[in-house]
Amino acid sequence: MISTLRAELLKQLSVRTNQGLLAATLGIVAFAVALHGFTLPADDLGTFENQVMVFGRGELLGTLFAALLGALSITGEFRHGTIRPTLIAMPRRGRIMAAKACVSALLGAGLGLVASALAAAVGTAALSSRGIDLQLDGGDYALLIAGGAAAAGFWAAIGVGVGALVRNQVATLVGLSAWILFVEGIVVGDLPEVGRFTPGAAGAALGGLAPDTLLAPAIALGLIALYTVAALSAGGSAFAQRDAI
Amino acid sequence: MPQAAEENLGPSLSATADRDNDPAIEVENLSKRYETVDAVKDFTFSLERGTIAGFLGPNGSGKTTTLRLLLGLAEPTAGDALVFGSRYRQLDRPARRVGAVLESSDLHPGRSGRDHLRALALTADAGIDFKRVDEVLELVELAAAADRRVGTYSLGMRQRLSLAGALLGDPDLLILDEPTNGLDPAGIRWLRRFLRRFADRGGTVLISSHALAEIAQTVDQVVIIDGGRVVATRRLDELVRGGQSLEEAYLELTERPVPE
Repeated sequence: MISTLRAELLKQLSVRTNQGLLAATLGIVAFAVALHGFTLPADDLGTFENQVMVFGRGELLGTLFAALLGALSITGEFRHGTIRPTLIAMPRRGRIMAAKACVSALLGAGLGLVASALAAAVGTAALSSRGIDLQLDGGDYALLIAGGAAAAGFWAAIGVGVGALVRNQVATLVGLSAWILFVEGIVVGDLPEVGRFTPGAAGAALGGLAPDTLLAPAIALGLIALYTVAALSAGGSAFAQRDAI
Repeated sequence: MPQAAEENLGPSLSATADRDNDPAIEVENLSKRYETVDAVKDFTFSLERGTIAGFLGPNGSGKTTTLRLLLGLAEPTAGDALVFGSRYRQLDRPARRVGAVLESSDLHPGRSGRDHLRALALTADAGIDFKRVDEVLELVELAAAADRRVGTYSLGMRQRLSLAGALLGDPDLLILDEPTNGLDPAGIRWLRRFLRRFADRGGTVLISSHALAEIAQTVDQVVIIDGGRVVATRRLDELVRGGQSLEEAYLELTERPVPE
């Protein structure tokens, strides 16, 4: 299994896809947080909730790109046909799937960590430069960043599961993006009682975002872990049973 | 893996290689149905060890489907496709027994040839070290281009890189789908000689191709399929008896109007 994990790590680090994802994440996080931090009215930015919400852009975007990273790790194999040599060399498909989930979760968590830390740094700098009092203490920052890393790690694994189920790369990436960026936002906004149980809202709750609406971090952790297991089970079972083209 | 280190081509006569006497390939009443199409219908043939067999048939006759079934990439609707007496997915460390190339384009264009082989060596989890990667790169004459991205390779280079991947585990059986596509004449001759040495050392090869003149110089045996059925399995010298060329024999067998 260690060998299969090393193989997956080498695969993900030997192409430029993930470097591109990292650069895109950092660029968009810095832009989004700076935009909010510098342009929203100072009165609105004075509250704890809104400050965490602005800093939480790092969690949201880190999660999005981590999900894409996980999805690419499996849909890329189908797209480029490397799934054939991979499965000829190692026909135990459960092992291939597990290696992809572990490595993607690890790299996704790293991506989420950097994205959340950058968001916190840019947000803090923006608010400080406008003389707005920061409402977050050290513990809030730690939760925000650790939660952002954990959410992205889980979502990377969810991306592997969804990718194994859908296979088509474009459909998978578009579906995940639409879900994370739009669908969940609408559900959480219109039906918070239901929306807070969605996987993206659970990920956001890990970092302590919108504590009045979302679940407590500890409960959210259990919930997103369940979603991850469900996505990996569904994707893994499809991957094990279907013809590999 | 001392055996691979001392000899970098052809199968080693290790204890595991000849532990049993099962044929290298055994296809029995194999069928594969996609939706409403019978891609493969009731195929039966087997391949003894140490032979090079040509797997011939018109486009769409079921060659590639059969190879996928043999390699565990797809599951048969009925029948069995066995490799060394087992289903592929049940083989222990299959990379040590079987090497295969289905499509030479099965490579990530952004990855270097060396990283492709290293990832494959690790994926196999069969004790294939990076020194073996360098050996197969030398063997297929890609050492100089090994650190370039595959996207910059010619078709022939991709074909050779894919073959290098199949050879990583020093297998006893090679399954190759159209391996001469994109190879230049020197490459084709190199491949022919390589396969002959491989078979002389006890290795078995199943090679699908449309290049009949080339196949006639390479194989001992042919399996000809048409319309989802096996129409001939015999030794090449029996098939072309009486001065007929392989091409003539092949066209006679496959162009016959199929009775309804």
